[in-house]
Amino acid sequence: MGERERLKELLRAKLVECGWKDQLKAHCKDVIKEKGLEHVTVEDLVTEVTPKGRALVPDSVKKELLQRIRAFLAQHATL
Amino acid sequence: MKMEDMPLSGPDNTRLEALVHDIYSELVDDACLGLCFEVHRAVKQGYFFLDETDQESMKEFEIVDQPGVDIFGQVYNQWKNKECECPNCKRLIAASRFAPHLEKCLGMGRNSSRIANRRLASNNNMSKSESDQEDNDDLNDNDWSYGAEKKAKKRKSDKSQNSPRRSKSIKHKNGDLGSGVSTEPYKYNYNTGISYETLGPDEVRSLLTTQCGVISEHTKKMCTRSPRCPQHSDEQRRAVRVFLLGPSAPSLPDPDAVVESESFDIPDGQTLMSRLQWEDSPDISPTDSASSKASTHHSDSKRPKKKKRTSLGLNSGVVVGAGGVGVGLGGGLGGLGGGLSLTGGGGGGSSSSSQSNISLSTKKKRPKLSAPSISSIYDDLN
Repeated sequence: MGERERLKELLRAKLVECGWKDQLKAHCKDVIKEKGLEHVTVEDLVTEVTPKGRALVPDSVKKELLQRIRAFLAQHATL
Repeated sequence: MKMEDMPLSGPDNTRLEALVHDIYSELVDDACLGLCFEVHRAVKQGYFFLDETDQESMKEFEIVDQPGVDIFGQVYNQWKNKECECPNCKRLIAASRFAPHLEKCLGMGRNSSRIANRRLASNNNMSKSESDQEDNDDLNDNDWSYGAEKKAKKRKSDKSQNSPRRSKSIKHKNGDLGSGVSTEPYKYNYNTGISYETLGPDEVRSLLTTQCGVISEHTKKMCTRSPRCPQHSDEQRRAVRVFLLGPSAPSLPDPDAVVESESFDIPDGQTLMSRLQWEDSPDISPTDSASSKASTHHSDSKRPKKKKRTSLGLNSGVVVGAGGVGVGLGGGLGGLGGGLSLTGGGGGGSSSSSQSNISLSTKKKRPKLSAPSISSIYDDLN
């Protein structure tokens, strides 16, 4: 729909492609094993996983995305 | 939402950059959150850890890397050299040949001549129209239809498929003439015959003139091949005839027949002969017929190889009595037997033996040879 959604899809595709998702999933497994299978909550996962996730994004993906955003903004910015 | 409202160029580059980074962070956070939801749902639904197995199972199904064995640890041609026992014929068949063998053995495959056997059976028992209807279903499977569709269907494919087999079987037969093993037919042609139980005496007799008729132990059917088929010996043919038609059964049709006459007045030899048969049966004592049978076995074994049946041999048999039935008798010099019976119980054994050799002679041979034989018979007797 909007550019944001498009960018979101693009990012997701790229992250899967570069293996970021699997890496993070493995990390999730560790967390779950640590916390116990029965008692894992969404918040637990989020707090554990997000910082790591942010750090694990490959530079190329990050750069490309920044590039796109910048370009979009520059293109559509009303002065 | 309009984040782009703020002025972005020039010294506000930093703001732009900040903005860009903000947007980027938001996107990444969304991705992470999405993943968390996914994982959490998987955990709660119980399918998160499905791709991991416990250590024992892992060891069990580990990839195998040995020579001679595939990655599952199975040997490639393990069953190649195994032999299976056929439930029908009780033979040991190689595993790779087992399925085709079963087809032939049970008469159910495409090339098992099942239709031919059915046709034979039905021609003997039922009318032609019935057999036509019956066979059409089966025949359609075999690319061969009875009657009208003969030409349309592929006869060539049948021929080409069957001919290699035929030539193989012919070669095989020539090599195995001496063996006469009854199990041979399974290899090449499913060679059923007719069930003798369903036939009346006349039919049996007529069948036995034209066919080998030896009853297979396995199928209890008569062999429908030529009376000279190498799979069965003459002893077997004689035994079958005796079994089916009584001890006074006519002798086997002699392919190289020399003498075929049944009696001195021959005009309708067949009927006369059959009359003789049935008349004389009460005269025969079991011991005589047994002994004559035994003696004929010797002569039978020689029969296929000799072309000329000397009347001498025959006559010596007659003269000698029960023991000495000559070579010729086996060959169906049945005419002599017919003549003898009329002259009386004579050597009881000899007459019975010769009686037993009255051939259901083929009509082809009889008329030619009857005349000379008759004269020779009576010369010797007198």
